Amino acid sequence: MDRKSRYSAGIKRKVIVVDDEYVNRQMLGFIISQKYDVMYAENGRDALEKIKTVKTELSLVLLDIMMPEMDGFELIKIMKDDEELRHIPIIVLTSEESAEVKSLKLGASDFIMKPYNRPEVILARIGRIVELNEGRHIIQDTERDTLTGLYNQNYFYEYAVQLDQYFPNWEMDAVVIDVDHFHLVNSLYGRQFGNEVLVKIADTIRSILSETMDGYACRYEADKFYLYCTHLDDYEVIRSQIMEELFTLGDDKRVRIRLGVYSDVERQLGMEERFDRAKLACNRIRNNYTQAIAYYDNKLHKDAIFAERLIHDIHDAIVNKNLVVYYQPKYGVQGEKPVLKSAEALIRWNHPEFGMISPGKFIPLFEDNGLIQILDHFVWEEAAKQIRKWKDEYGVTVPVSVNVSRMDIYDPRLETRLLDILKDNGLEPSEYMLEITESAYSDDSSQLIEVVQSLRDKGFKIEMDDFCSGYSSLNMLTMLPVDVLKMDMQFVRNVHTDENSFKLIKLVMEIAEFMNFTVIAEGVENKEQYDLLKQAGCDLIQGYYFSKPVPADEFVQFFDKD
Amino acid sequence: MLTMDALKNFGANTDEALGRCFNNEEFYLKLVKTVPSEPNFDQLVLSIENGDLKRAFEHAHAIKGVLANLSLTPIYDPANEITERLRAEENIDYKPLLDKMMAKRDELKALCEE
Repeated sequence: MDRKSRYSAGIKRKVIVVDDEYVNRQMLGFIISQKYDVMYAENGRDALEKIKTVKTELSLVLLDIMMPEMDGFELIKIMKDDEELRHIPIIVLTSEESAEVKSLKLGASDFIMKPYNRPEVILARIGRIVELNEGRHIIQDTERDTLTGLYNQNYFYEYAVQLDQYFPNWEMDAVVIDVDHFHLVNSLYGRQFGNEVLVKIADTIRSILSETMDGYACRYEADKFYLYCTHLDDYEVIRSQIMEELFTLGDDKRVRIRLGVYSDVERQLGMEERFDRAKLACNRIRNNYTQAIAYYDNKLHKDAIFAERLIHDIHDAIVNKNLVVYYQPKYGVQGEKPVLKSAEALIRWNHPEFGMISPGKFIPLFEDNGLIQILDHFVWEEAAKQIRKWKDEYGVTVPVSVNVSRMDIYDPRLETRLLDILKDNGLEPSEYMLEITESAYSDDSSQLIEVVQSLRDKGFKIEMDDFCSGYSSLNMLTMLPVDVLKMDMQFVRNVHTDENSFKLIKLVMEIAEFMNFTVIAEGVENKEQYDLLKQAGCDLIQGYYFSKPVPADEFVQFFDKD
Repeated sequence: MLTMDALKNFGANTDEALGRCFNNEEFYLKLVKTVPSEPNFDQLVLSIENGDLKRAFEHAHAIKGVLANLSLTPIYDPANEITERLRAEENIDYKPLLDKMMAKRDELKALCEE
């Protein structure tokens, strides 16, 4: 039973009386036996053996000084040097005033004078020391992470702040050490191995802190470590030391760590803020396998603040109509003259403070955190309303393609939502096209194929966006429910200067023809590109050659041209 | 049989000693009865005879502690004096003091055996 459980169960705490004199042992034992479970030892050596057998449950050592074999001073020294025994408090029993100071200096908690006058006082003193020590232990238990023995986060921050107070002029670094894809380490090699990894990292950090630098460390969340330490120019030495230790766990198991460092911290920042900065640097290289250490700089900070603002402002942007859908025409080019066939809906954000924000800045951000669905839903509804409006006002049907993000695919309400939008606007699925990016397909998920197939069965036309940008195999094309291949802009851009790009595009055309896919080239900017693509057999062309994306009211000009 | 009255007459401060034992007379008497056979008495005498004053001090100190706890004043007083002189490493003739202490110890022994 551990110390805390015993405390709550009200069981007598165990104490040992160490005295070479039988009468003294018995008398003190008699005084305290009402409250304590008393053991006895005749000298230091005898006591040490007995203490070791009950070290986890012993609450106190009552120790005489002058004894044969091993005296009290020697026992105190041995106990205080022993990792497992040093936590047990010692009260020295003495008639010698000179022994008091020496005992206290060696680490005794208190002393009791012989002869034993006033037993109540003795009991009170013993009670106080036991209680103090237990309180200290409860604090120690809670301040430590049970797996690694490092501090937990709250205490870590406290101690780090204290360090600042004692050494206000030290250059300090905030460092975050993260185990890459720790959940995968657990899944691949088992939770026990995962724990071994964490313990190994913690042990290495501890030894670094005791040998080469000053500071504190804690485990944060499951798989991160925070280090607040004296400044180091290059953390590669720390990283390689940890990696070397991890290697000893088995060279066949690949575990990678990455470090985010906020160097020479600004003291006016709160401790958490300092580690937010280190974490920011660390996150920046999450999927970068060529870089394992990242240092925080001010640009990173500005980017992060900007990203936070965008995340914060997205809802207001919808309410205040700062988000606008633009349309870019797609022309059929295989006839005598180009004919407007359809359009792609593209989002624009006119931020009240930042002005027009490039989609390249907010779309990847929202794809990361899931907010992309809000944008997608907004575009779906706006596009459907617009198709309806053009039909009503101009008698023209312009099918519009909208983006369906990977996250939408896994939303069980996807199909219902799309059908409801069409129903609300009196549209048919054939008037509404869905663009799904190629990389979503390479997830190779049967669920994705099922969802897309079902949408196609309902009559939606499916476009595979960014085709040739990723890792699609020819074999994949035979399995995918797709109507249109939209060639990646990078290929189109080089078509007139790079023979290989042109050859590849021709190859895609042949495959598309064989598989009965329509092919769209996007990003077409000039006549040279246009002519080559038309010659290669491309069905539809989209790009600045015809028009940049424009607001809906400007789009009507393309009707007139037709 | 050893009694509290006998100890009082002997000169022990029984009230003080009983206070240390939560007034448990039986327990106190049990401890007192162990004193005459306490080996430190003879070891002290032997150490002094051998001129080993350091060892003698350890034995004297041990005896003194026991006697103090039991408030056996008539034996404690000479034991205390011997201890303090040995602590000061006084090279004197300890025999008179030892005789006085041992006589009182024997007196207690007789009381215990009555």
